[in-house]
Amino acid sequence: MATKTSNSTKSLYQSYIIEEYHLKQEPYYVPVGDEIQLFEAAYAQRIPVIFKGPTGVGKTRFVEYMSWKLGVNLTKVKKGKKSENATQQDNLPLVTIACHEDLTASDLVGRYLLEGDQTVWIDGPLTRAVKVGGICYLDEVVEARKDTTVLIHPLTDHRRMLPVEKRGELLEAADGFLLVLSYNPGYQSALKDLKHSTRQRFVSIEFNPPPREIEAEIVSHEAKIDIDIAMQLAQLGEKIRNLREHGLGEGASTRLLIYAGKLIAAGIEPRRACQVAVNWSVTDDQSLQNSIEEVTASIFE
Amino acid sequence: MNNKKKTNFNKILKTLPPDVKDQFDKSRPHLEEYLTGDQFRLWVDSGVQIASQSNSSWDITVNLFRVSPIMTGLLKPDDFMKWLNVGEDLACQYPMLGTAYFSSSPAALHNMQAEHISDWADLGSNLYKGTWKSGTLSNRFFESSGALLEQLTFEELARFAEFIDILAKHSYDLSSECLSLALRLFPLVGDDKTGFISLSLNLVETGWRQLKAFYDSSLKSLPKIDPSQRKRFLGLAERLHTSGVPNMPNTILEISQALQLINKREHGQLLDIAAPLIDLHPSAFPEFIKSSPIVLNKVSFDKLDSWCAEGKRLLQTNPDGAMAFFKIESSRSEKFLEDISSSVDFSAISNLIELYCRALAGEEINLADSRELVEKNIGWVAADSPTTEGSTVYLPETVDRYSKKSQNFLWYKVVSTHQVGRMEFGSFRFNFYGTSHRFDNLRNALDNKTSEIAGSNVSAATDIQRFFNLFEERQLSLDIFSIVEDGRVDAKIKDEYKGISKGYKSIQSDALALRPNVRELKSREALLELLVQISLGETQPISVPKKYKTQALNIVKIARHCMNAQSTVEDTAEATIRIYRILIDVLNDEVDEDDWDPLDFEDESSEGDNFSDPEGLQQSLDSMGSASGDDPADTLEENYNSPQEVDYRGEFKPELTQLLEKLREQGQFRDGDNDSESITQEMMEEFAQNTVELSQELNEGVGSITNDEVVENMLKEVGLQKPESLEGGQGPLVHIDETGGELEADEPETFVYDEWDFRAGDYKPRWCIVRQKYMAEGEDAYYGSIVQSYGNLVMQVRRQFELLVPETMRKQRRLQDGEDIDIDDVIETMVDIKTGSSPNEKMYWRRNKVHRDVAVVFLLDTSASTAEAIDDSKSINDQSTAPEDPVEYMLWLRSRRGEGSKRTYKRIIDLEKEALILLINAIEAIGDTYGIYGFSGYGRENVEFYTIKDVDELFSDKVKRRIDRISPLHATRMGPAIRHSTSKLASLDARTKLMFLISDGRPQDRGYSREGVEKEYAVHDTKMALDEARSKGINPFCLTVDRNGHDYLKTMMTEMGYEVLDDIHALPHRLLYLYRKLTT
Repeated sequence: MATKTSNSTKSLYQSYIIEEYHLKQEPYYVPVGDEIQLFEAAYAQRIPVIFKGPTGVGKTRFVEYMSWKLGVNLTKVKKGKKSENATQQDNLPLVTIACHEDLTASDLVGRYLLEGDQTVWIDGPLTRAVKVGGICYLDEVVEARKDTTVLIHPLTDHRRMLPVEKRGELLEAADGFLLVLSYNPGYQSALKDLKHSTRQRFVSIEFNPPPREIEAEIVSHEAKIDIDIAMQLAQLGEKIRNLREHGLGEGASTRLLIYAGKLIAAGIEPRRACQVAVNWSVTDDQSLQNSIEEVTASIFE
Repeated sequence: MNNKKKTNFNKILKTLPPDVKDQFDKSRPHLEEYLTGDQFRLWVDSGVQIASQSNSSWDITVNLFRVSPIMTGLLKPDDFMKWLNVGEDLACQYPMLGTAYFSSSPAALHNMQAEHISDWADLGSNLYKGTWKSGTLSNRFFESSGALLEQLTFEELARFAEFIDILAKHSYDLSSECLSLALRLFPLVGDDKTGFISLSLNLVETGWRQLKAFYDSSLKSLPKIDPSQRKRFLGLAERLHTSGVPNMPNTILEISQALQLINKREHGQLLDIAAPLIDLHPSAFPEFIKSSPIVLNKVSFDKLDSWCAEGKRLLQTNPDGAMAFFKIESSRSEKFLEDISSSVDFSAISNLIELYCRALAGEEINLADSRELVEKNIGWVAADSPTTEGSTVYLPETVDRYSKKSQNFLWYKVVSTHQVGRMEFGSFRFNFYGTSHRFDNLRNALDNKTSEIAGSNVSAATDIQRFFNLFEERQLSLDIFSIVEDGRVDAKIKDEYKGISKGYKSIQSDALALRPNVRELKSREALLELLVQISLGETQPISVPKKYKTQALNIVKIARHCMNAQSTVEDTAEATIRIYRILIDVLNDEVDEDDWDPLDFEDESSEGDNFSDPEGLQQSLDSMGSASGDDPADTLEENYNSPQEVDYRGEFKPELTQLLEKLREQGQFRDGDNDSESITQEMMEEFAQNTVELSQELNEGVGSITNDEVVENMLKEVGLQKPESLEGGQGPLVHIDETGGELEADEPETFVYDEWDFRAGDYKPRWCIVRQKYMAEGEDAYYGSIVQSYGNLVMQVRRQFELLVPETMRKQRRLQDGEDIDIDDVIETMVDIKTGSSPNEKMYWRRNKVHRDVAVVFLLDTSASTAEAIDDSKSINDQSTAPEDPVEYMLWLRSRRGEGSKRTYKRIIDLEKEALILLINAIEAIGDTYGIYGFSGYGRENVEFYTIKDVDELFSDKVKRRIDRISPLHATRMGPAIRHSTSKLASLDARTKLMFLISDGRPQDRGYSREGVEKEYAVHDTKMALDEARSKGINPFCLTVDRNGHDYLKTMMTEMGYEVLDDIHALPHRLLYLYRKLTT
């Protein structure tokens, strides 16, 4: 979750007010399919989106990329036509909230805090996104408590409203606001599935590990290693994913491959790098580790 | 005087039966000549004297007269007289022995000094104790003496007679049996007869009853042992015996059986290693020898020594552990053996490699022992070479090619990589109309031509078959295709898997070293061999017949063009057509020694990707397949032999594999609609007729199986796999000897578990088989009747349990941070601040989710002892439990009758069942995950595990019916049942995991023991199993209705939950109470 402190201090560390955070540089993203067009279309129509897919395939990177891309367009449009709304951000803000088991509705909406001898209302991140009209990205949403759905539902249909119960308010979402959820259908148990009433308020974009060539390109770029090694890493990733049905909860993510690539770039011997960054990260099972070890040994010299 | 005397004899002899006279007359001339007159007279006198002893003793005389002439040849006259005297004395004293003495003499004296004659007679007569039996024995002794003396010195004979004598005190029959066994035994014993006899003597003192068995087993075992080691063997046997090893005869038999499996020349060495064990721990010696063949299968002799040394070290600290070690029944032993051995077993690596293969191929690949494929009889024949049939990689059972383990493992890895490579890189996905990227397509044109000629309208079953149909010489085309394709796969693997390519190359060069010498082959075979060696990456010049040098170069060129990472299987097919075309023109004739020329093809390799068919080839390719195409090599075809297989590649049968795959697909869609063209009977027949992949091994003479049978087997393999019957019956018991080794779970629904041997302090690896079955179903009326009979209690319990269900959210106050501020706390804090005392900052509250997350397994002991009646007189009236509903009542009544007896008493198991039903009722109310299982069994290979309700199964009428059928069965082997339940619980995702063990008595089973420590062994294993459960976060609880339970439960359940019920009737109530307590 982004930092909660509202007062920004400039000197020692970089700190953003939640709703003001936006990407300044183009994030690196290589499209695998038509996801960019889809998202653009959905955003244009303000249809909420769900990203489905295993960890580390670029869901978060994609939402960052899209917020940047849409933000750039936004800026262009504004500069070209009307510039009356000066308080509006030039870019599209991105509010990312990592959901966890104890994330409650008030964590999203806001709460009263005690300050000296009075209470002060603090807006939650969702409220801020609604107000400012940015993309609110709820990562791993199934982890959150069920009461959060109370908030999600009115925001995601034609109403586009956020009820702020404690203050007796009903907030209308600003124009640029879009709710994006991500979830990983693979590893959550059936208990933690999304309810249909929730799911069916979104369009779903599926993310899967990219094909070997694209993945190699990504790894090569991110880890700054040459494409040959990146190809081998991508090959390893592909092979490990083959084991998904055999006791491996999830295959090696692109992120892990990038880590391995970075270690290699830093001078770690490839097999060792894969061992610590990939093999030991994907599983604790000894026999699986051994098998992956052999696969690694087959691929890397 | 002489004459007178003579007539005297005659007169006396005439009074005797005529036989005597006859014999006398026969022997007389010889004797008269040999003896002096006096001596002769004494001879005759003796005869007469003996004959006059009794009515029947004339018979002895006859024998005396009969053997005398023979004896004269063996003895000097003086000794002869001595022999005669001894004989006369013996015969007069013990007429019963006379005949034997005389008639055995010739044989005996053949090997005996004359001075021993009287001693010999004494030996024999000593055995005679005046009874008929002892007489017989004594006679036996005399009769055997000759044969015995062939083997023994006289002193040894004397010791042996002593032995016989002592043994006879116990039993005459035994004694004479041993005597006759000894006749056969002594030739086997070797030099040390004395040792053997003293061992026998020793045995008489300590365990004469075993003697016969000992002799018998010696007779069987000695031939198995190296003659030079037999003496040593017997010596060791004696030491074993004196040090008190029980059941010696059997032991030596077992030892010898083990020795038989080992090269005789190595017996000495083995005994060298083993002998010191006797001093340390006598019973370790036989165990060590018995295990040694297994150990030697894996390691060499010097390693055996270090294995033994490890055992010895263990002996000093933990004798029981050491025994298990020597029996290879402990994990430690296995591990040590594994560490020192260089060979790699399939079983040890199968899991690892299987996952490896799956990762590589991305398919459900299985791994199996090559023998399994051969046993299926669907066309593969080599049991020790790797292969694949498209879905399974078959590997040889064990590999010991290299002296280092890592290299052997590498071999396995390379082999499986190659086999998987065939799948990954599409060897079996050949598409006849697929495009080849590196060659021009000749297939289709050729196909048109051949089908015109053949006019055959049966379409090929598979693409690859269609391809091979193009060729006249099918075998040749298959050989070329296999080599080129394997070469292509190798190239692809080396390109794709850089890491393994080094190891791969080394295996390839090892394979190259094993190739036959080209110069010994005929021309066509030589060119094929050239192809093989190229495919293995040979870079040195290879000899080729001079006159075929251009052809050879062309082959190299084509092959090189195909065997690289860019090619596909279709390219292989194109290359095959071309090489075939070249080779078909090469006569397979012998080549003279001088007609060979080394072909240096190194420079060809840099040709790059530009490839065009060699000149001249184009035309001949065009002519191929046309009507009466010139077939010059026709006549020589008979002599053609396929090249020797490359060991790491193994058998390659693309045609069979593709067919199998297609059949499999067909099998899958059998019920649904299947659009793809299916394989017809005719296709199969056509296939069986044409393919060379089958006829190959038929020529090799592997059994009498025909192609049709193979086809049948194939069909069986793919389609008609009968589902294993789920009949939960209490099936027949298979008995496996307790002393056997590890077990394998080869059937579905069987699981293997280790067992804890507390003495050895180690696990016995893979020791028990748990067979999981569903309990058979009975009537569900039983369930209803119980619920009814407990009526009130059921309701009460249900209500109590419902109270257990927690609210999903519980408000938690006084937190540092939370959902919201708690007004009360804030006011308090404000008051604190105003009054100046330090404020409490915890004033937030939040709702906490509290969910009940319980998984529980009930393990019900259904051993025979639960059939015990509960000793109470107030037998429950059957009628009172009868259901009121008429239909249910009828069912209930029938089921009662079905059980055969009208029980008016309750058994322990009945109460267990009742308690269970109440519990189910209660648990259903709160929705916990639960499973109910019964266990019993007989022996370690038959731990029956009956599913009454599986943990992931919903409660249903089925479950009700199964409960009805719970009934007492066999013994109680708790350990494996607990381990199996543990594994079930461990796979569940729940916060509280509980294992409820409901039993009636202590764990006991046949062989759930070591000698004499049965109880402790079982108890310790059970304890260990429960400890394992705890370490996996499972909370075990034992509830027992055994009144003596305290004895063993205490040791077993230290710091674990347990309870012994004094009053069995309390079981249902108590169980419910405990469940409630334990889960909240």
